[in-house]
Amino acid sequence: MWGWWRFGKWTVLIMFLHIIAILIFTKGFLLTRTELPHSSHCSDLSQSPCHSSPSSYPCWTKPAVDRLIIIVLDALRFDFVAPSSFFEEKQPWMDKLKVLQRMASENPSSAKIFKAIADPPTTSLQRLKGLTTGALPTFIDVGNSFGAPAIVEDNFINQLIQNGKRVVMMGDDTWTQLFPYHFNKSYPYPSFNVKDLNTVDNGCIEHLLPSLYQQDWDVLIAHFLGVDHAGHIHGVDSTPMIEKLEQYNAVLEKVIKELQNQSGPGKLHENSLLLVMGDHGQTLNGDHGGGSPEEVETSIFAMSFKDLPSLPSEFDSSSCEPSKNICISSIPQLDFAVTVSSLLGVPFPFGSIGRVNPELYALAVCSWNLDDDKTWNNQDQTKLEEWLQNYANVLCINSWQVKRYIDVYSASSVIGFSSEDLFRISDLYSKADENWSYTKNLSSYKNGSSNTSLPLLKRQIVAYSNFLSYVAELARSKWTEFNLKMMGTGIGIMLLSLYCHTLAIKKLNKSYGVSLLSSRDSGVSFGLMLTFFMVLIRAGSLLSNSYILKEGKAANFLLATTGIMTLRYSLMKNKMLIEAAIFLLLTFVFRIAIEVGLYKQAATSQFMGSSSSWMLGISISQSLWTYMAEIVPILALIILGYFLYKSISSCRWGIPKYVIMGTILSYFLIALHWISESNILDLAHFLKGFGKNCIPRTVYAITLVQLSLLAIVPMFSKGETSNCRGNLFVKMMSILSACSSTIIILQGKQGALVALGSLLAGYCMMRLQGIEQHTVSGTAGISILDPLPVFQWSLLAVCLLFASGHWCAFDGLRYGAAFVGFDEFILIPQAILLTIDTFGFSHILSVFGLPLFVAFPSPFNQTKHKSLFPIKLFWIFMVYGLITAITATATILCVTIQRRHLMVWGLFAPKFVFDVVGLILTDFLIFVASVYYFNGVEDHIGNAEFRRL
Amino acid sequence: MKELEKNPQSTISSSQVFFIHVCCGLALAAGFWVAHHVYSLNLVFDPTKTLCLIWAIEFPVVILLFSCCRQKPEKCSYFTAIARGLLGLPVGALLNALGALALGAPVGLQYLEKTVNWSLLMSSFTFVPTACVYGSSWTDWHRIFACTKPNGPLEFMLCLPAHGAVIGAWFGAWPMPLDWERPWQDWPICVSYGAIAGYVVGMVGSFGLALIMHAGRKQLKAE
Repeated sequence: MWGWWRFGKWTVLIMFLHIIAILIFTKGFLLTRTELPHSSHCSDLSQSPCHSSPSSYPCWTKPAVDRLIIIVLDALRFDFVAPSSFFEEKQPWMDKLKVLQRMASENPSSAKIFKAIADPPTTSLQRLKGLTTGALPTFIDVGNSFGAPAIVEDNFINQLIQNGKRVVMMGDDTWTQLFPYHFNKSYPYPSFNVKDLNTVDNGCIEHLLPSLYQQDWDVLIAHFLGVDHAGHIHGVDSTPMIEKLEQYNAVLEKVIKELQNQSGPGKLHENSLLLVMGDHGQTLNGDHGGGSPEEVETSIFAMSFKDLPSLPSEFDSSSCEPSKNICISSIPQLDFAVTVSSLLGVPFPFGSIGRVNPELYALAVCSWNLDDDKTWNNQDQTKLEEWLQNYANVLCINSWQVKRYIDVYSASSVIGFSSEDLFRISDLYSKADENWSYTKNLSSYKNGSSNTSLPLLKRQIVAYSNFLSYVAELARSKWTEFNLKMMGTGIGIMLLSLYCHTLAIKKLNKSYGVSLLSSRDSGVSFGLMLTFFMVLIRAGSLLSNSYILKEGKAANFLLATTGIMTLRYSLMKNKMLIEAAIFLLLTFVFRIAIEVGLYKQAATSQFMGSSSSWMLGISISQSLWTYMAEIVPILALIILGYFLYKSISSCRWGIPKYVIMGTILSYFLIALHWISESNILDLAHFLKGFGKNCIPRTVYAITLVQLSLLAIVPMFSKGETSNCRGNLFVKMMSILSACSSTIIILQGKQGALVALGSLLAGYCMMRLQGIEQHTVSGTAGISILDPLPVFQWSLLAVCLLFASGHWCAFDGLRYGAAFVGFDEFILIPQAILLTIDTFGFSHILSVFGLPLFVAFPSPFNQTKHKSLFPIKLFWIFMVYGLITAITATATILCVTIQRRHLMVWGLFAPKFVFDVVGLILTDFLIFVASVYYFNGVEDHIGNAEFRRL
Repeated sequence: MKELEKNPQSTISSSQVFFIHVCCGLALAAGFWVAHHVYSLNLVFDPTKTLCLIWAIEFPVVILLFSCCRQKPEKCSYFTAIARGLLGLPVGALLNALGALALGAPVGLQYLEKTVNWSLLMSSFTFVPTACVYGSSWTDWHRIFACTKPNGPLEFMLCLPAHGAVIGAWFGAWPMPLDWERPWQDWPICVSYGAIAGYVVGMVGSFGLALIMHAGRKQLKAE
């Protein structure tokens, strides 16, 4: 153990540095927010200073609207709705939703177009979450449930349900994912197929109009997806987009006509409000996700079916277009949840930090105390005062609720607001509150003397608005803006860790070189230069979103290049030609597998068009194909088992033999499992009674027993370590086999093939390593430390990740793997299984397989000095770690540079998360592997060499 | 032509190197010119036919020129050398195509024609000249391509443009995955451009080296 520590301290130090750097960087980059489980209740209002007359309203505010129709048009750009005269130039896609413009210009007091400003990330899921909770969803909301995105925070839908409102939903199935149990009725349609422009929309239209006549709902949500999909596929300036908009115009015309027909007194929609809104905008290419004005600016059209007076001009922020008599004002989407809640009279969502928007509020409120023939414009001061009094009261409740949220949040969250900010918030709030008690008293005593109370009320409203806008500003800076200082510090520490890494490798080189190579001629070999160049290319390629999307192909390209290089060397030497050729062939096979993965990715990814359609060209008769698909993986398993059996046949060391026998048993079970799943053989009936979860669980159990055997037994037996190299080989084979069975069963049938492929590739690399040095130095028997094979190995690991059907996005996780052997969802085992599935080949097996390069006697690697094995092995571990760290650092740098990129949340951030998790996992695995491999080695040999470090 | 044939040794004068390279370069340019002006084809819009035209014009020139520099002319006639070159064309194309497939060239029937034409062009850049000069002499191939130890201007003339073409094609593949959605990003257009650029650079380099070597030899003689 003491000897191990001389090496191991470096791994620990580097792992520590990486973790610190990543934590600091992540805190600045991946804005996180803690979700609070609390929710608001009607009775909470008694704690507030606001309620003046307790019995007047059923809940927080007086309901102003009985029924609400929300029509969400996904990715609705602001210029789809607003008249083209607001823009410099008329574009073909403008002025298509004519009915909205007509309504807004005909009755400006009851219908209005708003410019709604969304907050980034502008992806549908985050936006729906933001709209309903009134909060600012971040990329990672802590507390997000695993796999299912259901909203756990208090939200407006939840409040509706709690207060007995019935909600009907139709359209995009994201809503049913977010609110699985909330809707009375729902007609969800799948949203993932971007190429399908019509299914969701037609489904919506089919149910929307009939629903308008029904009485069994209070809130109706219809979510149309066509515009979003048309944008993704064809772009904004395209015929399908214009057709979609015209279709929507027709639908909206019908809806508005129906509502108007039924809006008379006593009719179904006497007191209804129609909202037509977008969740976010889109760029001209149809992308969204970032924070550019095109993506952030969307629209809300609100229309109530009553004739209402217009708002006092102080609160009217609209910009008007005199020629067409249309005024457009601006509203942050943050305000949506709370405004709608106040209109419906339900409590405001607990986590909402929006403000009740006066203009949207005024569209529906005030009808209850207003005679039909009177409007504010007729100088009716009392009515105005009453409205202001009412609005001030709503704002009071609003401010109290926001203050309560901020207090609870900063008390319960680890990363809350700074104390100065909190102090400023309290200060603003107490000022406004002080005023309020005075104003309230004044207005309640001197009822009617409007001359004094009107300015007071206005000042009051301004005070509350100041408080609310300050909180919103602060929250935005906390939850939607990057902290560049922290990101810079993180990058700095990361670079420091790279320096430490190279320092450690230099030290190892020195101790290796001093003891062996008295005359190192050049010091820089071709392999080193090539590796350096390739690592540089790979790091640089991460700067572009295209290379991240096709990272697997790029890595495979580099791998094939190194393969061609080795083929050249083997030609030069006239040796190992077969191995080099097989290696190239394998890269070709991996490449095909990666392309299949890309094809799958293109089906779901919003960033990729239809890329490779060549697979459709292959027409193999269906039955033969399925038959092959069943048989080949099982054959691969048998071959793997045979290899394992061969590898231990000469071994006499006890434990590994049992371990490998256990793995062979596992393989047998896995083959049985696959046969029982397939329907080719009749064995399925035979095995049905056995239970489909039994086999996977048995395999997991066998792996656990194997791993614990391998971990525990060497501690007690200081046994026969006569042959260091053979021992290392046996150790490696046993741990690889122990891990492989679980990984294979999780990966499914492709797992066996990938395992076989990586085994072959590893064998070829091992045989080929050092081939270049041999020819360059010309003196046989000495192996210089060559980073090229290690780099190849790490490239192979990257290729394996993609070849096994993963990609660096959250939809690239194979959620199905989490349920192999389990039916129900339990967080921890499922998370572990998913991690093993994702990182199994590319990280776990790769790191444990690294001793490959020293364990086998290679013809070019005939080192006579056995004492150098530990140093070389450790050097390999360090170089592998360094390559991974360089790539991860490059990702971090690229993410920083591209933080304002369109796809930062869709592409760069997931890539960042994957790389960072992969880096920490690699560090940890290197630590574990070095403990495992060095345990018992250094006690016997090489103490002298260890001393030198 | 006759003059070239008379020179039996692997040492050829720098003016000959210049002549051969200029001819190859002109053939390449002529291929483009014919494609553009006679058939009004373009590498971007119809890569298959354009590539086909270019290699069809380039490779006879290459075969005819390099067959003049064949080794051991007393044993091997001019026509044998031409036959070797003709045989070398498909073999080299096969090797180039395999290499491209390993590196990620698209597989599929609709790409077959493009790949075939591209690899024939690559073959006439890389494989055909050496096949004409050395035939199937493994040691010479080994020395030039595996060990990259050419000696003399003739071997540099074979080695440098071939390596230039391959490396150029390798670099030319890099813009392919970018999402610029330009038509020239498709296989094998930018790869062909890269290969041609690399080939030209290699020819210039080999001519420069020939000049330097010539000057060095003169100096040696003078001393």
